[in-house]
Amino acid sequence: MSKNLELSIFEVVGSPLCVASSDGQKVYDRIMTALSKKRNVALSFGNITALTSAFLNAAIGQLYGTFSEEEIRSLLNVRDMQQDDIALLKRVVETAKQYFKDPQKFDRAVRETMEDDNDGSQD
Amino acid sequence: MNFSLPLPEIRHDKAGFEALVCLHGQAKDCFFDNIDVDMSATSWFDADMCAAFGAILYRLSKNLNTVKLTNVEKNVVSILSKNGFMSSYGREKIPDRWGTTIPYQRFDVKDDRYFAGYIENKFMQRSEIPVMSPGLQKKFREGIFEIFSNAVLHSQTEMGIFSCGQFFPKRDRLDFSVADLGIGIRRNVKENAGLDLAPEDAIIWATEGCNTTKRGQIPGGLGLKLLCQFIDLNEGCIQIVSDAGYWKREKRKTFTARLSQPFPGTVVSVEINTADKQSYALTYELSETDIF
Repeated sequence: MSKNLELSIFEVVGSPLCVASSDGQKVYDRIMTALSKKRNVALSFGNITALTSAFLNAAIGQLYGTFSEEEIRSLLNVRDMQQDDIALLKRVVETAKQYFKDPQKFDRAVRETMEDDNDGSQD
Repeated sequence: MNFSLPLPEIRHDKAGFEALVCLHGQAKDCFFDNIDVDMSATSWFDADMCAAFGAILYRLSKNLNTVKLTNVEKNVVSILSKNGFMSSYGREKIPDRWGTTIPYQRFDVKDDRYFAGYIENKFMQRSEIPVMSPGLQKKFREGIFEIFSNAVLHSQTEMGIFSCGQFFPKRDRLDFSVADLGIGIRRNVKENAGLDLAPEDAIIWATEGCNTTKRGQIPGGLGLKLLCQFIDLNEGCIQIVSDAGYWKREKRKTFTARLSQPFPGTVVSVEINTADKQSYALTYELSETDIF
């Protein structure tokens, strides 16, 4: 039995357009099952032409609610990504880490941003 | 009862949205009535505004009103028939000879994949589309998808999502709007972030920092920010109307105002500069091994 799972996003979604959160959920379900069994996952973005933050939040961002950063770093690999898609995924990952690290702190940061905005961002 | 409600010219700007919310305000409580929208003074109608107009008319007809468009000027009939808007109001769709329209369409919230196909087939893959650099084309397409995803994830609409677009070849501009009939940004921020903000301040909140109304297992809070960053780089324009809040970002500056009446949901409307020659390539190298 293979210890590694090779996952083609194109195969899971069935389209080069990775737009829907519900499609991201399908990818998440497979990664989540594999990571729960401590399997390595190689996630291929080959032939994907459009990605949204909504898709990536569902597919990968929510992993941080279940697994530690160390677990994800050691078990999950991505490949065949375009440079701007890597940049988008990095932002999704950073936001997810913040989101799950301390929900109360996240809310506080949100409120503080709002107070700063009230100091005058309208013109 | 019979109501005849006048509609002035509708352009892709604050005055256009103001006219539409006034129309909605006058008719929102009608039930089992006849509503004639008198378009004799509507000398111009920016086609992408059909998304917001269509959302309002759909909401009125949902209240079992009979809605009709009357005294529509010939040039406006032509604009609204080419993009299929008038098909809901008894007129036949006419061919779009110059291929400059992205048809008016209503989607359900579960139609994300259908929406993606609509953008691909009705716009991106057509030979008439403006020549955009591959980087811009990708960013434009993803920006449009982010707007739709945002409506799906946040609006809680049961009445659907409406979209429409128009390309202006001489001005190198492409306008595209998505409207929903959901709870709006102000209520969303109040219910999920506990902040009771003015409608325009709620839009500011949703477009800045790490703010998100998303709760639960799936994080969020990036879609509108990504879109705004793209519009800044592209030197285009983005307008958001939600509740009675009006928000516009152009040339990296934000302008807000209060409309006289609330819109019954949210509209996100972008204007893309199609002559933009930026590559949108990153100036630094990112590694796939340094993401998590």
